[in-house]
Amino acid sequence: MSEMNAMNCAEFGDVAAELALGVLTGRERADALAHLEHCDACRERVRQLTATGEQLLALLPAAEPPAGFETRVMERLGLAEPSRRPVRPPRERARGRAGTKRTFGKINSGTRRMLAAAAVAVVVAGSVLGGWGLHAAASAPAKPALTTAALLSADHQNAGEVFLYNGDPRWMYMSVDLDDSGNGTVTCQLIGADGRVTNVGSFRLSDGYGSWGSPSWVGGSALVGARLLAANGTVLATASFPKLSRTYPADSA
Amino acid sequence: MRRAAVGKSVQTMGNAAEGVPDETLLAGLGAGDADLAVAFVRRFQRVVFGVALSVTRDAVTAEDVAQQAFEQAWRHAQVYDSRRGTVRAWLTTITHNLAIDVLRARTSAPVDPAELPALLTAVTDTPERVAVARDSAAGVRRALAELPSTQARAVAMAGIYGMTARQIAATEEIPLGTAKTRIRDGMLKLRAAFLPEDVGDE
Repeated sequence: MSEMNAMNCAEFGDVAAELALGVLTGRERADALAHLEHCDACRERVRQLTATGEQLLALLPAAEPPAGFETRVMERLGLAEPSRRPVRPPRERARGRAGTKRTFGKINSGTRRMLAAAAVAVVVAGSVLGGWGLHAAASAPAKPALTTAALLSADHQNAGEVFLYNGDPRWMYMSVDLDDSGNGTVTCQLIGADGRVTNVGSFRLSDGYGSWGSPSWVGGSALVGARLLAANGTVLATASFPKLSRTYPADSA
Repeated sequence: MRRAAVGKSVQTMGNAAEGVPDETLLAGLGAGDADLAVAFVRRFQRVVFGVALSVTRDAVTAEDVAQQAFEQAWRHAQVYDSRRGTVRAWLTTITHNLAIDVLRARTSAPVDPAELPALLTAVTDTPERVAVARDSAAGVRRALAELPSTQARAVAMAGIYGMTARQIAATEEIPLGTAKTRIRDGMLKLRAAFLPEDVGDE
C-alpha cells in the first residue's frame, strides 16, 4: 500500500524462496507480489528459484500405477473410442529464447507455486496466471475450443502468439517476443468484425518479451483480430483470427 | 468392436511410439487422438503416479490425482511451451500441484516428519529408482546432499510437501524465523548449484 509498507529488495530476498515454492501466505505474500510488480530483478530471482523448486520434483521416484489405470484415464478423457477428429500437427514452438507461456487458475493452495511464477511473467490485475498454470478443472472435460493466431510485427516478423479459448470459462493469453521493443507497457486490443476495438488489458514487456492473459474476453465469435499497442499508441503487432468456433470442425461431422 | 479396434491400434501405437517425441504425443493428446493419447499416458503414467504417490502417500488418492493430471494435460496441451521446460517437467509440476492441493485439503500436517529422512535418502540408491533416474535427478540429489541436513529437510518439506514455514517450524520445533532462513538458504544454494553459468544473460 503505502511506501512505508512496501517491501524492498532485501526484504523480498528473505521470502523469495517461499514465494517460488508456493508456500508464502498472507500479508507477506501480498507484499512480495506487490514488490514484483515493479522489480524486474526480483522477478528474475523468483523465476530462477521457481525453476529450482521444479527441479526438486525430479527426486520423486516413479511408481507403477494400479492395473487398468491407462484405460481409466482414457475413459475419463472420453477417448476410449477412436477419435473422429484429425490430429493437428504440433505447432512450431521452439522460437528464440526461453520464456513463459501460461494459462489460468483459480487461486487455491496448490496453485501458489504457479502464482509465484506467474508474477514473474505477468502482472494482470484481477486475473491469475500460473507457471505451468492450469485452469482448475471441474469434472467432465469439455471439448477444446482453442484458437491460436500468430502475432506479426509491423515488418511482418513473427512476434508471438495469441490464444483465445472460447469455452467455459473463456480465457485469452498472449505471448510476445518483439526483439527491439525494450521495456515498457503495451496494451492489447481486440478487434470485432464490425471494426470495433476494445482495450482488454495492459502488461509490461521486458527486453521485448512478455506474456499476458485474461480470464475473460469480449466479442463472442465475432472477433477478427487482436493488436498490441505501445504506450504512445503505435501498433507494434497484429494478429488475425480464423473464425472462432466452440468445437473443432471435424466434430460437426 | 470398436474397443477391439482401439486395443489393436493402441497396442501398435504403444510399440511404435517409442521414437515419437514427447511434444508430438502431447499434441496428439490435446487434439483428442486416441492412439497418441494412450501412448502419452503409457509413456508418463509411472512418472505421474510416482509423483502423486510420493506426495499423497495413498494409492487411491494418488490414482485420482494422476488421472486429474492427465486430464489437465489434455485440457492444456495447446499452451504447453517447450521453451519453459520439458513435457515431463510440465506434467510433473501439474501433478505435484494437484497432489499438494489434496494434501492441504486433507490435513493440517502435510507430512509425517519421520518419513522425510526416508524420502531424502531413499531416492538415491534403490535399483528401481536408479533405473528411472535421469541426469537432472542425479544432479538434484547431489546438490541436496551437499546442503546442511536441516536446510535439506526444510527445502524438501516446502518444495515437495508444500509446507509453509510456520508448519515446518512446528514440525521441527524451531522458531519461525529459523524455518524461513533454512528454506531461503537451502534454496539459494540449490539455485547456485543448478543454474547454468550463463544465467542472467537472458
